[in-house]
Amino acid sequence: MNTPSPTRPRRVWQWADVRGRKLGMWAFILNRLSGLGLTLYLFIHLGVLSMLTGGPDSWDPFLAIVKAPWFLMLDVILLAGLLIHGLNGIRVTLNGFGIGVRAQKQLFLVLMAVAAVAGLLGAWIIFAETK
Amino acid sequence: MESTLNSPAAAPRAGAGSLSWIWQAVTGVGLVILAGLHMVAHHFVVAGGLRNFAEVLAYIRNPLIWPLEILFLVCVTAHALLGVRAIIFDLGLSETAERRVTQVLWGVGLLAVAYGAWLTWVLVTYPA
Repeated sequence: MNTPSPTRPRRVWQWADVRGRKLGMWAFILNRLSGLGLTLYLFIHLGVLSMLTGGPDSWDPFLAIVKAPWFLMLDVILLAGLLIHGLNGIRVTLNGFGIGVRAQKQLFLVLMAVAAVAGLLGAWIIFAETK
Repeated sequence: MESTLNSPAAAPRAGAGSLSWIWQAVTGVGLVILAGLHMVAHHFVVAGGLRNFAEVLAYIRNPLIWPLEILFLVCVTAHALLGVRAIIFDLGLSETAERRVTQVLWGVGLLAVAYGAWLTWVLVTYPA
């Protein structure tokens, strides 16, 4: 099971080589970078949630910090990462099962447009609703 | 595979294994629902934007919610670590090193889920 596929970069550093990249490789790189970012966030998030064990005296003052505009911007970045990774992941899964392979380029572009619109809407809600 | 968007991410990963790819796809589909629910519940429908401690308790004590949150944690941890595994395997490790990586990631995953389950239990049983 160690035979690399012909289109797969053999080394991680090749992700950073932008020469001659086609849309498929950008989709691949985007998926992996967003996935790594979300994984990092997951473990930070789990660590932060340990403050809940300290009760309201520990958790509620922390909310004042995370409601600061610069912190809400991190929420927007998280939402963008989730939308990009999730929607691109749906395309990858469909294509992996042989669905929509011929239309994958169009599917990728449409899903990223959906991510952009949903991200902007989500950003507006995050900033409008947080008080 | 088509050449227009012949992304290596669009097919089962040769190095990481087809079964792992299928698990990642299955957990990924689950996450579309569970992560959506999590984000909406914690960010988009709460007055003031985020839940204070009392609101967290009220939410997590719902007998429909805490099992979903545990399921979410299992899915997101498995999905994330399978992804990390696939990326590490792209480094071109030996089979022995790949086995070690898999063992370490299993350990990390089990610890994360155990920690999340413990945290949930602490909150569900927190004195009113």
